[in-house]
Amino acid sequence: MATSTHPNARPPFYRDTQVIAILMQAFFLILVVAAGWFLYTNMTTNLAAINNASGGRLSWSFLGQTAGFEISEGPAFRPEQSYWRAYMVGLANTLRVSVAGVILATLLGVSTGIARVSNNWLLSKIALTYVEVIRSTPLLVQLLFWYFGVIATLPAVKEAAEWPGLAFLSNRGIFITWPFLTESGAPWFWWLVGGAVAGAVVAWLRRRHLVHQGLPGGGLILGVATFFLVAIVGFFVAFSAARLPDTIAYELKRGDRGTLFADADGDGKYKPEIDRALPYVPITLLDAGGQPLATETTDGDGAFRFFEAPAGGTSLTWTTPPPVFLSEPERQGFNFRGGLSLTPEFVALLLGLVVYTGAFIAEIVRAGINAVPKGQWEASRAVGLGTADTLRIIVLPQALRVIIPPLTSQYLNLVKNSSLAIAIGYPDLFYVGRVIVNQSGAEVQMILVVMATYLSFSLITSLFMNWYNRRVMIIER
Amino acid sequence: MTTDIHSANWVNPNHPTPAGKPPATQVGVVGWLRANLFSGVGNSILTLVTLGVVYFVLTGLVRWLLGAYWEPVWANRKLFAVGPYPTDQLRQPAAVLLVVCALFGVSAGRWGSIIRSLAIGLGALLSVLAILPIGMQAQLLMGVAVALLVIGYLVGLKVPIATRWLMLAWLASLVFTAIVLRGGIELPRLGIAWSFAPLVDPGLYGGLMLTMILAIVGITLSFPLGVMLALGRRSTMPVIKYFSIIYIEVVRGVPLITILFLAMAMLPLFLPSGWSSPPGLVRVLTAITLFSAAYLAENVRGGLQALPNGQYEAAEALGLRHWDKLRFIILPQALTKVIPALVGQFIGLFKDTSLASLVGLLELVGIGKAVIQQPEWMGVPGGAAKEVYIFVAFVFFIFNFGLSFASRKLETKLGVGKR
Repeated sequence: MATSTHPNARPPFYRDTQVIAILMQAFFLILVVAAGWFLYTNMTTNLAAINNASGGRLSWSFLGQTAGFEISEGPAFRPEQSYWRAYMVGLANTLRVSVAGVILATLLGVSTGIARVSNNWLLSKIALTYVEVIRSTPLLVQLLFWYFGVIATLPAVKEAAEWPGLAFLSNRGIFITWPFLTESGAPWFWWLVGGAVAGAVVAWLRRRHLVHQGLPGGGLILGVATFFLVAIVGFFVAFSAARLPDTIAYELKRGDRGTLFADADGDGKYKPEIDRALPYVPITLLDAGGQPLATETTDGDGAFRFFEAPAGGTSLTWTTPPPVFLSEPERQGFNFRGGLSLTPEFVALLLGLVVYTGAFIAEIVRAGINAVPKGQWEASRAVGLGTADTLRIIVLPQALRVIIPPLTSQYLNLVKNSSLAIAIGYPDLFYVGRVIVNQSGAEVQMILVVMATYLSFSLITSLFMNWYNRRVMIIER
Repeated sequence: MTTDIHSANWVNPNHPTPAGKPPATQVGVVGWLRANLFSGVGNSILTLVTLGVVYFVLTGLVRWLLGAYWEPVWANRKLFAVGPYPTDQLRQPAAVLLVVCALFGVSAGRWGSIIRSLAIGLGALLSVLAILPIGMQAQLLMGVAVALLVIGYLVGLKVPIATRWLMLAWLASLVFTAIVLRGGIELPRLGIAWSFAPLVDPGLYGGLMLTMILAIVGITLSFPLGVMLALGRRSTMPVIKYFSIIYIEVVRGVPLITILFLAMAMLPLFLPSGWSSPPGLVRVLTAITLFSAAYLAENVRGGLQALPNGQYEAAEALGLRHWDKLRFIILPQALTKVIPALVGQFIGLFKDTSLASLVGLLELVGIGKAVIQQPEWMGVPGGAAKEVYIFVAFVFFIFNFGLSFASRKLETKLGVGKR
């Protein structure tokens, strides 16, 4: 009618799709803002009714207040420090269990996934049973089983189960023989970091050179060799230049125990905020006549206690420690000294997360290997490659494209699932957040902080995954 | 036909050797063993080592299972089933079970395939429970439930009920469940108060019944929201698109427990001051619905993306308007494609309901924790923890394994993942 005589005329606004789209979006926006405003005003009035002081506004000053509670493990934390520092300790604990969990779960998952596609019937059926049982059971039940059913039923310290020279298992934790970096080893750590950087740079340069020349191969071997070279050189340099600090001093109490530390203010007393404790230093206790009574090594906190010596020591001498000290746990009274000590909560959480996530990673690896067309297997067999070589050279590189995106999601799931630590008392960031809420009453603020933390983990993972997907995606027309 | 070897018509004068049997080491049991277990030196050693490990693990497990103290689980079977629901009103959950079984049977008859496999599994489970000596009334109930399942199946086969009536019946059954379990309806804001039995406080729902309620209501309520979010994410209108993206990414980026605590603490804060505080069950259901909707949106988006563009274009060429296009062409195909993923999501949600125990609800895991704390079992060496948690894990395993088995059969039928 009227529009057909003008080819470019627009229909009336109530039938014009562009106008309708804009109107609908405006309507939707108004709806969302109205709902948000409704919820917000409700929240502020209700909050004002509860805490009259703040008048309903969200204040963030509680973060600087004294915490007043202890955290059972993680970086050193004292109750006088602030809520914010407590939250940071919780975050460190989450990262600790997440990194260990990701590494172990990947190892377990990849081997189980390969076992699933193996042609050994027994192995593949066992892997199938493991995956099916673990994936069908909730993680919370598995965690509670590991903690209350397994770890809590380990023997007491007095009768702790022992792997000779390696570890002790008891219901107060697992204690493992572990190498630690000592005072003279600390500079070596920086040499290792430098070596890693140098190795990466050398590998990249070599690869660029080879690509430029059109030759095959990569820079991996050269990079690794560079890293080891720098590490060994650094070891000897650090060892020969190793010196204990000049301000070294000690506190000796009751003739057989005390602390070895670097006295920053020269007053001879150990103050944790100013002075630095010296761990893993070999020391000798001398009596009044200068005769050596016993030798020991300071433990991880710089403290020492001579259990076997008579309590008659008056002075102490020390020697420069080697860069790496292999610390073995020893039973001392109701606990173990030395070695790496893992609390029952950490072990239960780690076990639960690794076993659970490993099953999902196994399925992802299996799906990835199965996604490679059968023709690839047949062609590589025709060329004469065996199973292991086929997997390594042909199948796994192609499978990686299918495996990596869901694998990074599973890593993210592991980090999110570590929040279940609240069920067994491991002080991760969610648990510490709840304690902060209980003590300070700042419910809304802490929920926002906790959600923001997990969201940033998830954002970092998505960014990585998008970058990886763009790099390897097959461009279709 | 000569015996001259150079002729074109040469015939071999020797009798051909009779076809022999294949060598004994290649076929039958021995052949299978050689191929699958002992195909090489490394493989054989692996098999022997694995056999040894399996033997030790299995004998230890069986010995423990037979010698374990199962009394805490057996004595509390009512708690594990329905939680602290009033014992004299157990007819109400029983009625719900019977109605659901009948409806399930009818759906199995009408829709077949995956629903039928699930119904067979459910029937087997109920029959086992009818045989175990759990108590006369409970066994009778299980027997009647199996009978209703079978009758419903036969009815479904014979009577051609339209899908929309069956869907309506399922939705009505949800409302029926809510009313019957509560004992009536009580909405003080709207002034409705009707009851046919003493009203049961929702805090008394528990056990496997509560787990089922949380999972089923969760996925049902999150379905419309999830589909809307998926469509919104693919929309060309930027406001709606970014709102959907932000919602989906935020909810998928945080653990469920965070959202549970958020709902428990903040839902009363968000409601106007005059309203009464919603019961814990409602708060947890809200959290589960909001959480599940984001994951469902991603699954449905996968289905929408898998649909060839030609479908959208053909629908538009036919002149279908936006909502008709969705209703008749797009959504039926997309949703059918994502059924396996939806089953996987339901399994995940079923497992995630266990987190409700951390906010005070007494579903299966919560009852397990409460049973362990009961004073009767304090003197048991090693505590009742192992047996109770193994039992709870076993219950979850039965349901989830059954669901994933049915889903795998469906995937095989649909031909997913074949060459």
